[in-house]
Amino acid sequence: MTTAAPLWEFVDISKAYPGVLANDKVNIRLMPGSIHGLLGENGCGKSTLIKTLSGVQQPDSGKILKNNIPVTISDPQAARDLGIATVFQEFSIVPTLSVAENIFLGKMPCSRFRIIDWGSVRANALRVLSEIDVNISPETITGTLSVGEQQLVEIAKAIAMEASMVILDEPTAALGETEIERLHHLLRNMRNRGTAILYVSHRLDEVERIVDEVTILRNGRVVSASGETEINVSKIVSAMVGEDIGEHYPKEKHVTADVVLEAEGLRTRSGVNNVTFTLHRGEVLGLGGVLGSGRTEIARALFGCDELTAGQITVKGKPVVFRREIDSIRAGLAFVPENRKFDGLFFNFRASGNITAASLNALSRFGIMNLWTEEQATYGLIRDLDISSQAEEKTVNFLSGGNQQKIVIARWLFSDSDILILDEPTQGIDIGAKIAVYNLINKLTRAGKAIILISSDHDELLAMSDRIAVVQHGTVVRTVDAAELTHSDLVRASTIIPRSKYEEEFV
Amino acid sequence: MKRIFDAQLIGPFAAMSIVAMVVALTTDRFLNPANLSNLFLQVSIVALIAIGSTIVIFSAGIDLSSGSMVALLTMILAQMLKFMNIPLVLAVPLILVSGGVLGLFIGLITAYGRIPSFITTLAGLIAFRGLALTFNNGSPIFSLDPALEPIFYGKLLGIPLPFFYLIFFYALAAFMMNFTKLGREIYAVGGNPAAAVLTGINVRKVQATTFIIAGFMTAVGAILMSARLNSGSPNYGQTLELQAIAAAVVGGASLAGGRGNILSTLMGAMTIVIVQNGLNLNAAPSSIQNVVLGLIILMAVAIDMWRVEISALISGAFKVSSPTRSSKNSKGD
Repeated sequence: MTTAAPLWEFVDISKAYPGVLANDKVNIRLMPGSIHGLLGENGCGKSTLIKTLSGVQQPDSGKILKNNIPVTISDPQAARDLGIATVFQEFSIVPTLSVAENIFLGKMPCSRFRIIDWGSVRANALRVLSEIDVNISPETITGTLSVGEQQLVEIAKAIAMEASMVILDEPTAALGETEIERLHHLLRNMRNRGTAILYVSHRLDEVERIVDEVTILRNGRVVSASGETEINVSKIVSAMVGEDIGEHYPKEKHVTADVVLEAEGLRTRSGVNNVTFTLHRGEVLGLGGVLGSGRTEIARALFGCDELTAGQITVKGKPVVFRREIDSIRAGLAFVPENRKFDGLFFNFRASGNITAASLNALSRFGIMNLWTEEQATYGLIRDLDISSQAEEKTVNFLSGGNQQKIVIARWLFSDSDILILDEPTQGIDIGAKIAVYNLINKLTRAGKAIILISSDHDELLAMSDRIAVVQHGTVVRTVDAAELTHSDLVRASTIIPRSKYEEEFV
Repeated sequence: MKRIFDAQLIGPFAAMSIVAMVVALTTDRFLNPANLSNLFLQVSIVALIAIGSTIVIFSAGIDLSSGSMVALLTMILAQMLKFMNIPLVLAVPLILVSGGVLGLFIGLITAYGRIPSFITTLAGLIAFRGLALTFNNGSPIFSLDPALEPIFYGKLLGIPLPFFYLIFFYALAAFMMNFTKLGREIYAVGGNPAAAVLTGINVRKVQATTFIIAGFMTAVGAILMSARLNSGSPNYGQTLELQAIAAAVVGGASLAGGRGNILSTLMGAMTIVIVQNGLNLNAAPSSIQNVVLGLIILMAVAIDMWRVEISALISGAFKVSSPTRSSKNSKGD
């Protein structure tokens, strides 16, 4: 590496959200002609930093220097004007427009009278595409391209705007091996032209191959600045995980030998691929894996949301077919979805309506509801689970995330389900509420219920599960005792994709 | 009972009362018993149809077809009474069933065909009136049956019958929305359809059911319309669907679904009719009436949309320096 001056410097960037300090005095220095890896576990503050860098949000404090001159990135347009191109995980491509239109979106070459100069749009698009060695016609409608090709169009956009800094957020999440190679080739070319590249990825094996330096975040802080960690998967993992995994998880073991649920060779069109596992009474089975590995899809397949194309679910020894959600609810299953705002809560209801929503049949006779029973049972659950008493009178949008999550779980306590699928039950709630959720999990298993726990928080998953099924590409690759697995094993197991598996998937 | 007569009723009731007071100040004929009785007759048809429109809105749908459906059903009723010699006691139930079937038809296309209700009922708005014109060469049919008129003009204990219809159907609707599983499911589907699916609610069936109810209530309105004029006409019920939706909105039902009180719709309908009555009594030109109706709807929705700002303004006026100005999504915990 040269000793050149940094192209971009981010000094002491802090950003707080209600209840969390997402970025705490983060420093990053981007050198021209260098690919800089930004790494860390889910929730370490990477996304927050990217949002700040691309002008989506403003930092609470800190300085941003471009070539040693302080600048303000007031909004995404300002970021583009300053030469920052961001390729988000979800592309910012308009699928109905042509490749050329997408490349120059927002700054179409115009003639006089602000009329688009289509000749120059086409010529410039061709020039950019050939520059990066991409053989796509500028007239192609972008939506008809493969995901990998769309990704390349995103890169072409960055090149067309002559960005001095390119941020790539999980650029390979949807790419096959050859497409990744092509992307890396492209990035190396850009590096050679002096562009500063910030590369964010969960796939550490791939990071090892491409980056020149890494900055590692943990709990919103830089734990390893550029140059402090060797670029080597195991060194990176230990820096990401850290030594202080000292949080308290009040795990109780209640696992028994009775099998309550068996999944055999499940497949769906949504990507669940030959999933087989068993779940025992009183057990917490953790599903580990990276975002997009197919854990939520497995949950949805079990709950009857997505149709099975193959396989058999057996509940307490009886083979079952779930055509709709109500079938699985009747069989004793419950599903606490990942996104409680979009899929879980009824914001127009108070706690009572939310808690009883899955049990309306049990509460009614000839279609008429017993509102007194509803109020009594709800009142009991609100007190048992220590939910804010405001929940009795106010609609649930007035409650904190922790209280809201408890209400969603309470719905399935009220319905007396035996098998609960908890998808990211502690996401976005504070530590006190998390511990309350852990205690609730204990209470459930103590009562003989079985739980499938999906969590991207590896510590939590390891501590609260009895066994862990590692999920990759929609299938359970192995199931192990949680006690046999260390944090770094799990990170490695879920982030490193075995080459053979990989090729099989994309060929 | 607390739940039925809750805070959501206060606003629409206050609005209705204020409007009534203002109108009473402008003319002493307003509080005349004959005028008040006339008011009930005037409000009854739109208020009954608005029950269905409101329930559709609760489930986050919209029904634009009711006005045209009224025209079609009055023509079918007229055809049955005048040309097919079907007795009134049979024709009336047949019309009620027809309304339900038309609603079911729209409901199935909307819910199972996954076409937005704005579009399916817009198609209904156009097609039903077209169908109404296919009867009797598109001409109105008059003098249907002498026994028809008392359905609208009849009195019980000196009180016009439509008053009892209103009481009966609003009581039934309030019971359904507040005490039955179906009512709860309608609010749940309107509040968050994704969550409703995951709690095992048959969202499509619930959506289709709301349109059956709307069709049935429209049939009730159509029978009263025919009885009032002892005729059927393809021109009846024009803009009735908009007045019914306006009644729901003025009554505080959220067009986003999931929120509102069915009894407020009656207040909303009353408010609109009182304003129209006031304009009539003050000899305002009829063209002005629609302008005023438009302004009322705009105001009702604005109050709903700006609720947070308005309440902040009001609380700010009373507590000049509140230390923590609570935001929209204040998390009380």
